[in-house]
Amino acid sequence: MIEDEKELVKGMAQYLRQESYVCEIAYTASEAREKIMLFDYDCILLDISLPDGNGLQILYELKRMGKADGVIIITAKNSLDDRVTGLNLGADDYLSKPFYLPELSARVAAVIRRKRFEGNTKLSFKEITIDLLGKTVLVHGGHVELTRKEYNLLLFLVSNKNRVVSKNAIAEHLSGDDAELLDKFDFIYSHIKNLKKKLTEAGAEDYLKTIYGLGYKFAA
Amino acid sequence: MRLLQLSLRSLLLYALVLVILSIPVSFFSISEILNEETDETLDLQSSQFLSHLGNFTYLDDLETDLEVLDHLSNNIHIYPSKGRHVPRHFETISVFDSAEQEYRPFRQISSSVTIKGKPYILSIRMSLVDNDRLVLAISLVQTLLIVLLVAGLLFINRSLSRKIWKPFYSTINQLKAYELDKNKAIEPEVTHIVEFDDLNKTVSALTDRNRKVFLQQKEFIENASHELQTPLAIFQGKLDLLMQSPTLSEADAGIIMELEAASRRMSRLNKNLLLLSKIDNEQFLEKEEVEVGVVLGELLVNLQPVAQLDHIEITYHAHALNVHCSKPLLEILLTNLIHNAIRHNTAGGKVDVTIEERALCISNSGPPLQMSTEKMFERFSKETANAQSTGLGLAIVKKICDTCHFELTYRYDYGHHFVVRF
Repeated sequence: MIEDEKELVKGMAQYLRQESYVCEIAYTASEAREKIMLFDYDCILLDISLPDGNGLQILYELKRMGKADGVIIITAKNSLDDRVTGLNLGADDYLSKPFYLPELSARVAAVIRRKRFEGNTKLSFKEITIDLLGKTVLVHGGHVELTRKEYNLLLFLVSNKNRVVSKNAIAEHLSGDDAELLDKFDFIYSHIKNLKKKLTEAGAEDYLKTIYGLGYKFAA
Repeated sequence: MRLLQLSLRSLLLYALVLVILSIPVSFFSISEILNEETDETLDLQSSQFLSHLGNFTYLDDLETDLEVLDHLSNNIHIYPSKGRHVPRHFETISVFDSAEQEYRPFRQISSSVTIKGKPYILSIRMSLVDNDRLVLAISLVQTLLIVLLVAGLLFINRSLSRKIWKPFYSTINQLKAYELDKNKAIEPEVTHIVEFDDLNKTVSALTDRNRKVFLQQKEFIENASHELQTPLAIFQGKLDLLMQSPTLSEADAGIIMELEAASRRMSRLNKNLLLLSKIDNEQFLEKEEVEVGVVLGELLVNLQPVAQLDHIEITYHAHALNVHCSKPLLEILLTNLIHNAIRHNTAGGKVDVTIEERALCISNSGPPLQMSTEKMFERFSKETANAQSTGLGLAIVKKICDTCHFELTYRYDYGHHFVVRF
């Protein structure tokens, strides 16, 4: 994590460590340069505006060294130019502040999956198997018919397994800007209900737990 | 009235008074000069007559000759005084001209003279210019003068207003067309006229200063929004972590929910403010051919389920329409308009989206506005204290329409009707 805001990066690290990721933090561009030279990372979270340099410069150097580290750009600017430049320089994803930690976690998971498990495109949670390439879900080897939204929801929840994910985070993940209109969350609720029903009907255990009015948790 | 016309009017009035006054003055002075000249000539003639007469004093019948002369000559009269004494004097007399059948003015010198010891009265006269003619001639000349003067002044005035005032009007026109958020700066031409250059300098300085202040303010909003993103991210992150606490009570969960709702609202506000300043700062310059129907189609597919929650029915009448503009801006424009139509609707209401020849109509059922139509497009003007609404959606719509030169109209007619003309 290359980010100068200590409190922010602390929270990010704490959340990601719950997923058993090993996190290292660099607060400055020079610290970051030292670390990327010495080690290979599965995923680098890169803030663009650093006190001693531009994050895009680090990205450029990384790619010039021929490193295959996954990179997610994190920026407060959310400017189209930065996004285009970043992605052109070889960043894998782009996340603008403020973001939900479950969203970050899901993006990190996606990047790591792409980088590490080349060829192996299946993600499993107990008896549930998600085929990332075919975008299909199997329970005990049997096919479960899910809508696009339900599939995305399941993937999001599994990426944040064992952690509470708020309804807002889910709404934003599923609907993007349209989440603004979803004040009553009936929308999320119906997707959750359908997903739960389809999974249990296919023979899976009910892993989807409601945490008060707050959100949901996918846990064994 | 134009400044130049005003000065011209005074000038013309003055010239007219002067010319009219000059008619009697010239008349009197010319006739005075003529009289004087004539008097001098008459005086000379009279003394010459007397001195020449001195050469003939030896003649015995001079008396008879003088009488003959008196009868023959038209201009010289000499006759015995018969005891009358006439002091030497000049006078203007009228004499009947039998050829022209009219009286004509003559100047005459009369004096008593003594010839051969006998007293005579000698009068010599000369024809004067007719007063009527003199007045006529002077009037004619002066009238011609007036005509030439007026014509000349008008002509000069016109070419002056074209030439000299050109930079002035150019500055005025630039000021009229000046929009703080669009134009770079006013660049007046150099005139070499002190007043205009002064004016132009002042105008340039004023607009420059205004523009600088405006830009600073714009930059301030953008910077403030940027700076807020990080603390907002920290806040949201901490909430996400707090949710993971295994000892969370239901009451705690409720508070976290509320905090998250507030955090969401802040980020949305901030995002919209940033978007507004980005549009202001023209960060969406890249234009492309966008098919409105395609953008709308995608949008409606996503929004249909959301609208159904409130049993709002969306009807869509598609029509092929290509617009050359920035695609992200068009997407935001359409999203905001349709969000607006869904949000400010009654349960079980309707939203109608129709693409026309060069326009897009979005109508929705809903109660009429309490606030004025103009206010509706201002920032942070909200009808309700709806926490979901940032009060920026329509301001962004307006801004996008202004930037992309779309014409946006609104009317209420048993429902809200927004029309965007591309």
